[in-house]
Amino acid sequence: MVILFRIDDRLIHAQVVVGWGRRLKPDRIILADDQVSSEDWERELYASAAGPDFKAAILSLSDAVEQIGGGVFDSEKVFLLVRGPAEALEMLEKGLEAKEINVGGLHFREGREKITENVWVDGKERGLLRDIAKRGITLEARALPGDAKSTINSKVV
Amino acid sequence: MTEKEITGIVVTHGNLGEELLKTVRLIVGEIHDCYALSGSDLGDEKVIESIHDILKAHHAGRAVIFVDYFGGSCGASCVRATRYLDDVKVISGVNLPMLLDFVTKQGIMGLDEIVDHLIHRGQESVRVIEI
Repeated sequence: MVILFRIDDRLIHAQVVVGWGRRLKPDRIILADDQVSSEDWERELYASAAGPDFKAAILSLSDAVEQIGGGVFDSEKVFLLVRGPAEALEMLEKGLEAKEINVGGLHFREGREKITENVWVDGKERGLLRDIAKRGITLEARALPGDAKSTINSKVV
Repeated sequence: MTEKEITGIVVTHGNLGEELLKTVRLIVGEIHDCYALSGSDLGDEKVIESIHDILKAHHAGRAVIFVDYFGGSCGASCVRATRYLDDVKVISGVNLPMLLDFVTKQGIMGLDEIVDHLIHRGQESVRVIEI
């Protein structure tokens, strides 16, 4: 069962593992990413970042949708991580079900505009978030679980 | 002729690296070939670029990069930046004793030797203080 579906361009990192992990105590972190899952070196780097407390699975977007939908992780509490709105939308289009997405980290980069302290998007990404919002999904932008919950759906339309 | 000193780069979340180096200066005075970067303020590509800039600007052949947290974004960026550089090592779990030993031995130890030494020093300095 996916208990947190998060967009974070830093993928598996301290904020996710310690900040969210020690609060929500998932059994597993799934990183769904075509780039990382296709390279041994990258897979190893991010699997090691999950640390000893959580199981990690690093899957392509298609495999993640298939395995989550197929019930492979039904008995586990799962964090699902993707690097950006494009990946999140692709998973939804492939059939992943979600009510809420935590837009937790899209960090400053040349050409991105600020939505919140930890969410910066360019025009294309804003459009993709809009497409996600149109599916009736709540986009909430906490970096950490203790932050005030702020919904950004109105900021991407 | 003595070997060129080993360059040190401290890459951390927030201002921890800069503050650690400030504290090192407070204890030992002026230090050489040591730099701090805040990884959490910069994106992954920017951290990698900054590390390469420092190494290039100082013609650093050999370097040790210290990161604060194994599994953090700063560590991932550093590992990525040094993937093809055999003479640059990344050590996680930086602490003050480690850095104090680095700055006092960076001109007299070889790279592998200093890395082994720093890891040992860092680990042995974490202990219960009982008299």
